[in-house]
Amino acid sequence: MRIRDLFYETFSAIQANRGRSLLTILGIVIGIAAVISMTALIDGVKASLVGELGLSQSRTVMIDCWPGREVTMDDIDALEAGMSDDYEFITVASYNSGTISNGVTEEQGTLLGVEPDYFEAMGTKAIAGRLIMQSEEGAGSRVILLDQTIANRMWGSEDAAVGQSVHIGNDDYTVVGVVGGSGMMSGQSFVPLSTMQKRMSGNSGVSQIIGFAREGTDMDGIAARTESHLRSYFNLPEEDPSSPDGSSYYIGVTTMASVIEQLDSTMGAFQALMTCVAGVSLVVGGIGIMNMMLTNVTERIREIGLRKALGARRADITWQFLLESITLCLVGGAFGIILGYAGANVLAQFASLSSEIGGMSVTPVISPTAVGLASGICVGIGVLFGFYPAWRAARLDPVESLRYQ
Amino acid sequence: MASHVIHAEKVCRIYSSAAGLTPALRGVSLDVERGEFLAIMGPSGSGKSTLMSILGCLDRPTSGLYLLEGIDVSKLTDDELAHVRSTRLGFVFQSFNLLPRATVLRNVMLPLVYSRGSTADRELRAWQALAEVGLPESLYTHRSNELSGGQMQRVAIARALVNDPALILADEPTGNLDSATGELVMRTFRRMQERGKTVVLITHDSSVAGWADRVVHIRDGRLLSDEQERAYVASLAQREREALVGTQEVTSA
Repeated sequence: MRIRDLFYETFSAIQANRGRSLLTILGIVIGIAAVISMTALIDGVKASLVGELGLSQSRTVMIDCWPGREVTMDDIDALEAGMSDDYEFITVASYNSGTISNGVTEEQGTLLGVEPDYFEAMGTKAIAGRLIMQSEEGAGSRVILLDQTIANRMWGSEDAAVGQSVHIGNDDYTVVGVVGGSGMMSGQSFVPLSTMQKRMSGNSGVSQIIGFAREGTDMDGIAARTESHLRSYFNLPEEDPSSPDGSSYYIGVTTMASVIEQLDSTMGAFQALMTCVAGVSLVVGGIGIMNMMLTNVTERIREIGLRKALGARRADITWQFLLESITLCLVGGAFGIILGYAGANVLAQFASLSSEIGGMSVTPVISPTAVGLASGICVGIGVLFGFYPAWRAARLDPVESLRYQ
Repeated sequence: MASHVIHAEKVCRIYSSAAGLTPALRGVSLDVERGEFLAIMGPSGSGKSTLMSILGCLDRPTSGLYLLEGIDVSKLTDDELAHVRSTRLGFVFQSFNLLPRATVLRNVMLPLVYSRGSTADRELRAWQALAEVGLPESLYTHRSNELSGGQMQRVAIARALVNDPALILADEPTGNLDSATGELVMRTFRRMQERGKTVVLITHDSSVAGWADRVVHIRDGRLLSDEQERAYVASLAQREREALVGTQEVTSA
């Protein structure tokens, strides 16, 4: 029997039992819809969290370091020189806070003095204007990359803010660009590091050290190497004291990749739970398919006898019924995939409406892996639960089947 | 014996069930020449359906020899038997056994689906077979359950012809038809035989068997020739008469 004939038989059989087939595949539809909508939502949440935290920079390493004294730029240069195999560059940020004014409105804001490298390491993008340039860092220019919220409050839009000037302390700064960001990244404005060290009072030491690993570096390894390098550089023991106080010290190195991994494992636990629920539905659906296929075989005993009399081999009969159950499952899977994504979109709408976490919006992610996996599961269920009915059909005795009433 | 389409020697078929062993055929020997039209007659329970299953390679004899075109089919595996059925045999059943939702053409093409021949000329061969049984072309694309009984049986005959088989086996082909359509169907078989086909017909109806060149009778799993059958029937009648006389003697006494 040729493949084309096999498909012909399958589709004519399913078409003849349309109503019953549709009801039978409901279990599969629901199971697959559950798997798909869950995966789409979790991937969507992950993507939006990653985007929010600026974690898309998987090569970024956050170095948290307090050796008991102020870290200086010399320390940073030494670290960069000592680990040049691992890091493309190491950049720092210096924190400050101040009042930003445009003569009409005054806003409190966090100011970060940064080298332009910082933006690359953190994946910061300007939503209007541009980022701070190397020449401005070198010259200690009075330029500022303004926070989106402040720009909006002062001039009504991001674009209107570009080119304006703001007053901080005793100096005027030109707004070269606006940066967005919600959650952790919100409310930060940036000036060149050299400008901050020269012109702003208060703590202008190194507040944050960020490394940008070379392409293809093992991120777990780099964290361990950085930590031991820093401990030997500052002559610190292997372990931090269990309760750090002001005079004590600590070293902590976190890669963004490990943050993402942590997120993954949290989501994974949730995913496993949902998979169990979906699995139960799929097994129930599979039993439904088997039940229907057994009924099918019984109803068509004479047809099977006839086919055998006309020369069908056991394999022909087995394939005919197996393909029928696989097709049923795949049709169920296709409906499930469509329903799953539709459901995920509806749920995401609700999530965005009800969520107060910084207006976080979740866009369900359609992943080819999930679709492929769902289709694979369907074929698997079709084979698993269709095999017994198909085997029974193939084993029928032609003489008895032809006589069956 | 290559000229024999069927050569059966002392074929026995014994069914075993919970009730014990039931012999359905007790040493049937039969030769059928190429191009012959043979009728096998017998009442129900005589073993004619069992014989039909064995001649049709749907079942294997318990003992004895059966050669179909010189091939010892009792030594073949199930799949090989299926291949023999699809290439050398055509079946016509009492209840037609068409796929009700499929078109007439699709029904006739069904044996070609399993005989692994080329797909290109399938439709052409189905058309030729349908033309041979004289079914109007306008019906070819109808679903088979839209046809009358006589038309359905002619579709079934076309299906049996489509693989150009060595042997056409018909099991009570007129059993579900009125006598006028039955005659039409028998005329179709006769025409097939005139074109060189070998036909074996199984029936309990002597007027149907009358269409055949030769009639053999089957009783209690044994084949009888016409003369033996007449003797058997005569002896039956004799015994009945004796029984009748016996009762009369009892009543007169």
